[in-house]
Amino acid sequence: MKNKFFLLIIIFFLTLYVNNDLYSVEPDEILQNTKQEERARIISKNIRCMVCQNQSIDESNSPLAKDLRVLIRNKILDEKNDREIYQFLTDRYGDFILLKPPIKSNTLLLWFLPVIFFLLGIYVVFFHDNKFKKLK
Amino acid sequence: MLKKEILLLPLIIFLFILITFFYLLKIERNPSEIPSNLINKNVPIFEAESLLKKDTFISSQEFGREIIIVNFFATWCKPCRDEHKFIKRFSSKNKIRVIGINYKDNSKKTVQWLKKLGNPYSNIPLDKNGSIAIEWGVYGIPETFIVNSNSMIKYRHVGPINKNVYNKIIKMIKNMK
Repeated sequence: MKNKFFLLIIIFFLTLYVNNDLYSVEPDEILQNTKQEERARIISKNIRCMVCQNQSIDESNSPLAKDLRVLIRNKILDEKNDREIYQFLTDRYGDFILLKPPIKSNTLLLWFLPVIFFLLGIYVVFFHDNKFKKLK
Repeated sequence: MLKKEILLLPLIIFLFILITFFYLLKIERNPSEIPSNLINKNVPIFEAESLLKKDTFISSQEFGREIIIVNFFATWCKPCRDEHKFIKRFSSKNKIRVIGINYKDNSKKTVQWLKKLGNPYSNIPLDKNGSIAIEWGVYGIPETFIVNSNSMIKYRHVGPINKNVYNKIIKMIKNMK
């Protein structure tokens, strides 16, 4: 009984995992050309919804997210490349609109602090280990 | 000796992080307010239908002569109604030109709304599909901008204007003159 219950819980979380590719793109937004649509989806996944802030515009159903999704698709139809589209958005909303912050002088700490902490951790563990061996 | 100091390092870092968080909690700020990327940049160029005037609203003809307040508003937005008395005070009491950009709204309702609450706006371009708002980096109305006499955006406020923000804006504009 306990095992079955446990299995059910695992299945439940597995289904959550499988279904996590939820998106809010509405049928009328989708581009005819599948390649262009794919590009639009990839860009949308990297763009933050400024209203909900922790979702991408691909997942968000806020009106602004929809406007931006349509705008991205229109820019693709205008034959703008990805860089130009990202540039257009960051010019207006700043780097905050990108879900992945770019590596810049003011984001160096953000990018490299985890590595530094990791190395520090190894260093501390190593020293601790040596001490422990000596005590033995 | 060195080993001991290194073992203390995590504690020092932890304390540093703790103090930083406390500081961020204590100081008065709104973490959901995102700084505008358009500060010290020129106003976006746009043209739009005007609510009250026959001529098309052309941004390059409106900005650049005096300090102008730009206010994004809509009749369906409750905070816009709340801040309206302050917007009126900008134009009536302080004689500052206010341009109201009507965001995704019904023009008939807007006319009625302004008749009822008063019209502080010298011109009202209509942003029917929200594209002007995107040009201005707007993400939640009401939003208010100060544009200086060189067409440069100097300040952006997200959310309704209250007494504090009103006083702040008046002070900023006085200093700009």
